[in-house]
Amino acid sequence: MKKFDTNVIVIGGGATGAGTFRDCLMRGIPAVLIEKNDLASGTTGRNHGLLHSGARYAIKDPASALECIAENRILKKVASHCIEDTGGLFVALEDDDPAYGDQLLTACKKTGIECGEISRQQALQIEPNLNPEVIRAFTVPDATIDPFRLVSANVLDARERGGQVFTHTHVDKIETNSEGVTGVLCCDRSTGQKFEIRGKIVVNASGVWGEKVCQTAGIEMKMFPSKGSLIIFDYRVNRVVVNACRMPADADIFVPGDTVSLIGTTSRKIAYDEIDTIDVDEEEIATLLAGAERLVPNVSKTRLLRAYCGVRPLIALDKKADGRDISRGIVLFDHEERDGLQGLLSIVGGKLMTYRLMAEKTTDLICQKLNITAQCQTHTTPLPGSEKRRGGKINRKRFKGISDSVISSTQYRHGERVHQILQQDQQSDELICECEMVTAGEVKYALKHLNVKDIVDLRRRTRLGMGPCQGALCACRATSFFVELNHTTGEKAHQMLIDFLEERWKGVKPILWGDALREAEFSYWIHQSLIPSKKVSSGDQ
Amino acid sequence: MKFDSIIVGGGIAGLICGIRCAAAGLKCTIISSGMSALHFASGSIDLLGRSPNGDIIYDPFSQLPTFIDQYPQHPYAKCGETVIAESLSFFTREIEEQSLQLCHNEQNNHFHLTTFGTLTPTYLSQQSVYSPELDRAFTESRKMALLDFEGFRDFHIPLVKANLPQHTLFKNREIITGTVPLTPLIESLKNPHEFRSIDISRMFETEKHLLQIAKSIDQLAGDGEIVGLPACVGFIKHNEVYSRLQKLTGRLIYEIPTLPPSILGMRLDHHLKSRFSELGGVFIAGDKVIGGKIQSGRLSEIYTQNHESTPLQADAFVLASGSFFSGGLISEFSGMKEPVFDLALSYEKDRKDWAADQFFQAESHPYLEFGVKTNEQLNPFDSSGQPIDNLYCAGALLAGYNPIREGSGGGVAISTGYYAAENIIKANAPIGAERHD
Repeated sequence: MKKFDTNVIVIGGGATGAGTFRDCLMRGIPAVLIEKNDLASGTTGRNHGLLHSGARYAIKDPASALECIAENRILKKVASHCIEDTGGLFVALEDDDPAYGDQLLTACKKTGIECGEISRQQALQIEPNLNPEVIRAFTVPDATIDPFRLVSANVLDARERGGQVFTHTHVDKIETNSEGVTGVLCCDRSTGQKFEIRGKIVVNASGVWGEKVCQTAGIEMKMFPSKGSLIIFDYRVNRVVVNACRMPADADIFVPGDTVSLIGTTSRKIAYDEIDTIDVDEEEIATLLAGAERLVPNVSKTRLLRAYCGVRPLIALDKKADGRDISRGIVLFDHEERDGLQGLLSIVGGKLMTYRLMAEKTTDLICQKLNITAQCQTHTTPLPGSEKRRGGKINRKRFKGISDSVISSTQYRHGERVHQILQQDQQSDELICECEMVTAGEVKYALKHLNVKDIVDLRRRTRLGMGPCQGALCACRATSFFVELNHTTGEKAHQMLIDFLEERWKGVKPILWGDALREAEFSYWIHQSLIPSKKVSSGDQ
Repeated sequence: MKFDSIIVGGGIAGLICGIRCAAAGLKCTIISSGMSALHFASGSIDLLGRSPNGDIIYDPFSQLPTFIDQYPQHPYAKCGETVIAESLSFFTREIEEQSLQLCHNEQNNHFHLTTFGTLTPTYLSQQSVYSPELDRAFTESRKMALLDFEGFRDFHIPLVKANLPQHTLFKNREIITGTVPLTPLIESLKNPHEFRSIDISRMFETEKHLLQIAKSIDQLAGDGEIVGLPACVGFIKHNEVYSRLQKLTGRLIYEIPTLPPSILGMRLDHHLKSRFSELGGVFIAGDKVIGGKIQSGRLSEIYTQNHESTPLQADAFVLASGSFFSGGLISEFSGMKEPVFDLALSYEKDRKDWAADQFFQAESHPYLEFGVKTNEQLNPFDSSGQPIDNLYCAGALLAGYNPIREGSGGGVAISTGYYAAENIIKANAPIGAERHD
């Protein structure tokens, strides 16, 4: 069995794990990141993509609100290419309690969140698709953040600083001896090969899956998973983030992002053994559509693209299993203190919004344990791609002959790295995914630098297959790059394409009517004839 | 305006129906709202490619009687074997009138390669995809070259080559590969990476380009006797281009379907439309039928988006508006409908029963079998359940079959389109005398 050594082993390729991984490398601590699936494939990639201003929490949970607004300001600077500073609105309709707006104003003032009331006309000017029945409206500094890009940029930076990444790799066991943690035993899920990584500290940043990870070290850490569902509309229906101005409830936030808009979320307690098998159900679809209609009338008549759900990693602070003392805030466990196991830390709870802060706290504790004095710099050092302000002027002369939409889409996704993607050779500007303007150059860049193992991973790095056609035309083209560059065999390419389309289908099936069904019929027709379900074994021709 | 027959839908079913009507001397029009699904199709006609359990069918005509017995509601059962066979011969003849050669392997299926490098069974193909000469060359294991075009993104040799060895036919075969350069042929500043199949097919139709391409093919193909190319070998003038290219290179040219737009399908679309016009049919493109007047089981006139105030009248009508993809059927949050006449449908009311859990589930998706209910003559029923005697339905909007799982889409479109025309001609017999040309 292959073995190697490092200092810190981070388990979990979501935002928290990726952030901790990067923070370690920035402080000069050798580290590896292990993710059982793909980067941002768990809870991180399954939310609104809302960069909270904190206003949503200001009334009930001022501590969270303070964290949010502080991180909001930091991330807008250091992760600018992952963020669109759209601004946000809180809107009250007839059936909302008008007094909630006053509470919101007071609470925001207390927490330092810029919040101001505007007239109905002004609100409709900012957001023309808004329900005209709006009675009160408030502006807040909400924005949108792309979680896939955020995680990818954190990992890219860590890798460029010497960190090592293992995606599609499962941690079978946290290994211990009498003194504490000694490392982890892993399994490469694509080859089945087992290997061992030895390190001084293991960080469990695997969110809701953290309960299982802890179990492999004989430690109990009870999670209380809560399912949240969302629907994606195939158009950018709204310009700014629209929040319902009332106590947080189901389907009360409408967020624009890239080429689409999202409504969410719902909140349902689920059993722990369901975390890997959840689906969006009919009732949730109805709730979400009703909530969306309330904020933006007639929106359910536009094309729906997909529905998806994620699991919130809520955690019990005590060791009791009844879940009475559940936290929604950041929880950092030092298992040496908690359970007497030296070298294991668990970072759980929190939000995508506070991933950097969670990483900072965790890395501070790592430094303390390793006697390292290096200070955190993630709040001032921009992520790769975010060196310049978002939408910063680009020297278009350098990209002569390429359409503006291709340049802008590429810069939108990769920030300053656009210079490593476009105009590399004659092929690099060829469009592979027309819906999202993904070029051959971007596909090649992702395959080379962004830990892409299959088409599903490629989608998370580039948006290939995320547009209206849901991969009907680009998936086959993308497959050929894996064959060409990664020497994927025909049989594996076959399976990869099937896996990708099955993953797309999972999101389409809950909203299968109207144009979504038309598109699915088209895609099925094309692919079923390309990749017949039973192979032809005879030699007839 | 008054016609003998009006056909709603300009896809393969509507066109074959129109050609049959026009050939019988009927004054006929086809109203088409948009692009035909043929632009996305393989260009081969599937008759019956797979049995219900997914096994490949080699001899569709011998399987048909059992199949029809087994599925009495299937459109094939309504047409019957004789009409199916007749319709395919008619289709082949009419296309050949336009000098596009179609071939089949006697009563059996043959296989065509896909863009992915897999093989799929089909019944009728263009001669560049299947012909007795190609068949012989392949069985004699003659050497093959596989070429693509510079910058062409809808056909990838590495992918095809990676998949080919999965078939015994290609397992131990040496395949020469190469890329036909296009840059030397381009006079403008265009990057060949921007070319789609249609751009390349047009280059083949220019004599000086054809000579250049033939020269490149000859150089690249080495001692390959069969040359596989993405299906871009000419569009309208394909027949001429194809035989010239074979002569110039001295090799058998073998076309492999590309990702859409599919030139193979577009050729069929083009030639069917020309044939229809040649026979005196009127093709109205870019208009949409929005409704009609149905009284005591008869449709007397229809309205279109562009002619809302001047209804179009006819003795007989055909609805061949396609499935969901083409807009012939519409699905909503609350149910499904046929949007033009609100015809009675056969479908599962509960949305949960529309689709399978997996995209590639062996049993396929139930919604593909949903559609318009008809009687034995292909007459549909109105929303109250009364049959409409002079309206016929054909092609993908029909209920009771799964074109993709069965590999029967082309066959059903042609046979039901043809059968609808036959029924119209029969009803019209005293007026229209059969024309033999």
